[in-house]
Amino acid sequence: MSSKADAAIIDLLRKLNRNVEIVSRKLDRLIEVERSAGGHALHPSVPVPENLLLDVTTLLGLPDHLRKSALALASLGEATATDLSKETSRVRAVESDYLNQLVAMSLVKKKRKGRDVYFYIES
Amino acid sequence: MAFHSYKGGTGKTSLVVNLGALFAKQGANVCLLDYDFRAPSLNVLFKAKPQYWLNDYLEGRCEIVDTLVDQSTRYKLPGKLWVGFSNPSMEALKDIMGKDRKWEVKALTKTLSGKKAIVDEKQVDYLIYDTSPGAQYSSINALAGADLVSLVMKADEFDLEGTKELSKGVYEALGRKSGIVLNKIPLEQIAAGGGAESFGKQIESDVGLPLVGLIPCMCELMAMGGKAIYTIEKPDHTFSKSIGQIAEKLKKM
Repeated sequence: MSSKADAAIIDLLRKLNRNVEIVSRKLDRLIEVERSAGGHALHPSVPVPENLLLDVTTLLGLPDHLRKSALALASLGEATATDLSKETSRVRAVESDYLNQLVAMSLVKKKRKGRDVYFYIES
Repeated sequence: MAFHSYKGGTGKTSLVVNLGALFAKQGANVCLLDYDFRAPSLNVLFKAKPQYWLNDYLEGRCEIVDTLVDQSTRYKLPGKLWVGFSNPSMEALKDIMGKDRKWEVKALTKTLSGKKAIVDEKQVDYLIYDTSPGAQYSSINALAGADLVSLVMKADEFDLEGTKELSKGVYEALGRKSGIVLNKIPLEQIAAGGGAESFGKQIESDVGLPLVGLIPCMCELMAMGGKAIYTIEKPDHTFSKSIGQIAEKLKKM
């Protein structure tokens, strides 16, 4: 085989390798999102990112339903799922689920005050 | 509502001030907030020396209502015209440039809770943010707090392409109702586009957002920038009438 053909094959292999790396990163990201939403961990060694900060750049990357909860919580400061559900006009159980997803993503924290659980953004 | 743009110099501050003054003239309670922390402008027009700046609020040194200065008496307006100013000193500008992401998280929550405090405590009908152009933290914080975003643009190629990106990446992502205000448009460009209506429709189609207003380029306004509030001092001027039309469109959105 000629050196020109060899070079073309090597170039093609490099491109394939880059594409495989891109796909692999996207898969890792999908696994992170699935884990944070309570799904099965297909790749247990991929950690959930710690200390994610809930600034606007993170907000813009959130799915719509979580962004709505995050914005409402940022507006109230500290709130129960019931308080948030009044802001978002969603059922309390649904709001609680979304808030707990944000907690699992380390974007929101929660604490107990008596019988109530309060969610808040640490800043 | 927030007034934003991809590029600077599109006339956001003039629009914010004149629109806010018009709403107050119509009897509404209005609050303007200068969220352009990197190039504050409202203090120039109102010649303000407030006790507290919006910077002080974001740093936790005061409540947001402490930053507001009522301009309605000065301009004899039936409604209130509260204005919150950002600090134009070089020290404050350098401080803003050095802020990290942790501070920006705090700034976001303070922006959103501040909006609530202003609306509740001052019974404000219209809260209007004047923002920095482009993708600045403070601007996007303001957009996150707004119910309605008006994108101010000049309709040149730089503006068109950049605005389309902002629309996809920011306004749509935040789920905010948005519209375009075309400002400082040369008459030749309007004529080349087949007239105001046709030109406006082309831009709407290109950007994918509804047109809220179209204001042609007026040289005398450029000279008066930062000196006069036309909707108060020259209510019959073409610019003031354009602002009036924009106000009516925004009320319906």
